[in-house]
Amino acid sequence: MLQRRGQDPTLRASVASDGPTVRVTFEYLACATVWLLVGTAAGLLDALKLNWPDVLAVQWLSFGRVRPIHTNTVFWGWSSMALVGLALYVVARTSRAPLWSPMLARIALVLWNAAVVAGLVTLSAGVTRGPQEYREWVWPVAVVFAAGLVLNGVNAYLTVATRRIPEFYISNWYILGAFCFLTIIFATAYVPLYQRGLGNVVVQGYFMHTAVGMWFTMLSLGIAYYEIPRVLGRPIYSYALGVLGFWTNILFYTLIGAHHFIFSPVPWWLQSAAILFSVGMMVPVWAGGGNLLLTFRGASGALQRSYSAPFLLAGVVAYLLVSTQGTLEAFRSTNVYWHFTNVTVGHSHLAMYGFVAFMIWGAAYGLVPRLTGSEPNPILVGIHFWLALVGYLIYVVSISTAGVLQGFAWVAGESFIRSVEAAEPMWLWRTAGGSLMVASHLVFAVNVWAMRPGRALAAVLTPPTVEASA
Amino acid sequence: MSAQPGHRAVVGLAFFGYLALTLLIAILPAASVQNTPGLPGVAARSALAEEGRVIYLREGCGYCHTQFVRDLPLDRPYGRGTVAADYANEDPPLPGSERTGPDLSNVAARQPSDTWHLLHLFNPRAVVPQSVMPGFPWYFEIKAAGAAGDVVVPVPPRFVPAEGQVVVARPEARALVAYLLSLRQPELRK
Repeated sequence: MLQRRGQDPTLRASVASDGPTVRVTFEYLACATVWLLVGTAAGLLDALKLNWPDVLAVQWLSFGRVRPIHTNTVFWGWSSMALVGLALYVVARTSRAPLWSPMLARIALVLWNAAVVAGLVTLSAGVTRGPQEYREWVWPVAVVFAAGLVLNGVNAYLTVATRRIPEFYISNWYILGAFCFLTIIFATAYVPLYQRGLGNVVVQGYFMHTAVGMWFTMLSLGIAYYEIPRVLGRPIYSYALGVLGFWTNILFYTLIGAHHFIFSPVPWWLQSAAILFSVGMMVPVWAGGGNLLLTFRGASGALQRSYSAPFLLAGVVAYLLVSTQGTLEAFRSTNVYWHFTNVTVGHSHLAMYGFVAFMIWGAAYGLVPRLTGSEPNPILVGIHFWLALVGYLIYVVSISTAGVLQGFAWVAGESFIRSVEAAEPMWLWRTAGGSLMVASHLVFAVNVWAMRPGRALAAVLTPPTVEASA
Repeated sequence: MSAQPGHRAVVGLAFFGYLALTLLIAILPAASVQNTPGLPGVAARSALAEEGRVIYLREGCGYCHTQFVRDLPLDRPYGRGTVAADYANEDPPLPGSERTGPDLSNVAARQPSDTWHLLHLFNPRAVVPQSVMPGFPWYFEIKAAGAAGDVVVPVPPRFVPAEGQVVVARPEARALVAYLLSLRQPELRK
């Protein structure tokens, strides 16, 4: 049942939250929402082009140029900005301290927006490093992004370093870790000294894998470890499992990038190690995901009361599903049927959408109204949830089915075009699901606008004249 | 008193531990294979084919076409299994992750006709009706008549935008075809 507006005490503006940090979080979220709309419009356009290849047949909107625009915009624009905006708040809040420098966070946001805009312009103009997934941006664009990344990392670190409580909460392990990891990952991906010939393929496997799992996953989990207990009003099921998940994730996840190049000339030991540790990934995944899931146990009341909890629960479930699927995809036997097919596309959307985007939405709806004092219309939040959930389920099921059909056609030795014909009806379903997803983003944008810092926050910010401490 | 580790210990271990793992699993293996020599007797690409490769990169052809043949029965139609030496002179190599279209490692052996490739690039549906590949009409010119030195593409009339006009390949289309026709797997010596 949807709660009537303003009746949930956990959603009231908290006087403990400090204004500048709240504004910074909201600015990140607002920019991220713009990139969500741009990035998913690009995705929908490419989906349409597989149904009707001659639609919008102009050079800068051709399939191969829009593809990296979609992925890079939703990765570095939408997901990164939204996660970091939320993470900066979590870091400050769990340190019981204000953000070390809101100004630094704003400079970083300007740099990131500049990088995403430059990425859009260069990629549509055909200025690219070629189809090296998620590192297509030419180096000057990547350097601007990396500068913003380092600034945010330093800011988060110094906020924790100047905290006013002794505890170094588990969320901050994941969040500060993520900033360390992506800095190393970006540097590794762009330094050219070891990337001639097959060396490039080794780095590509490492990059496209860890950029997702050591950045987006780490930030999402860090935010989840703060937001899920807060929304449910109960402690995390096990702090120790969170710590176990953190270290095993670092160890196992980093070693498995080569499973993207099974049966390739990449050294055999690297491929075998990748398969082995892909099985090992079940430890951090079920320790972390299971931990969050167990925190939900018996909390059906909160699921009914809160409009953010359903997003968080859907995100945790998708995390467990997609990670288990990832392990299954890493075997040599499944590679034969699934590799190079649309199963990969289904997998990536289950991860970046079912898990990451839902975590962002859950945290945004759970935190932002409480910070700004401005609530979205709960009916619209519900519409967002169902459009996004039904849309992406249609998307993932249909595109994965397309992939399985492609794989069967190839293994059966049919002519290549048969695999295209087999996938085509599923590609129509994919576009239908994708349209619902895009529609849900428009509703989300309306809700973000409704949650903007308004008079309630201004009241909180001028303490002597306020009676809004209730 | 808390027995938990402080932020310096955790962040320090995470950072340097991650750096060590990255060296172990990415940087050192990459460095150890990056100088694999190319196959003997393989000629460098022509300047035109090299121009074509740049166009292939910027149009994102590699998102749908792999250049990575696994040594598996289902990959036999595309040629022999890819070896490290095949990527020796590629910057960047284009193994790819998805086959919305077929693998192109050995496409020149499979489809050696430059006319076919030009037609296919102008509008893929002119040669493969079920194809979902984008056309690249901007690399062609529609003219009343071909001039001396023009490469006129024999496009079926229903695919020509204006009646009585001819389709002439621009230099970009010719470069792209030169690149595609350079994609031929050299024989491996037993």
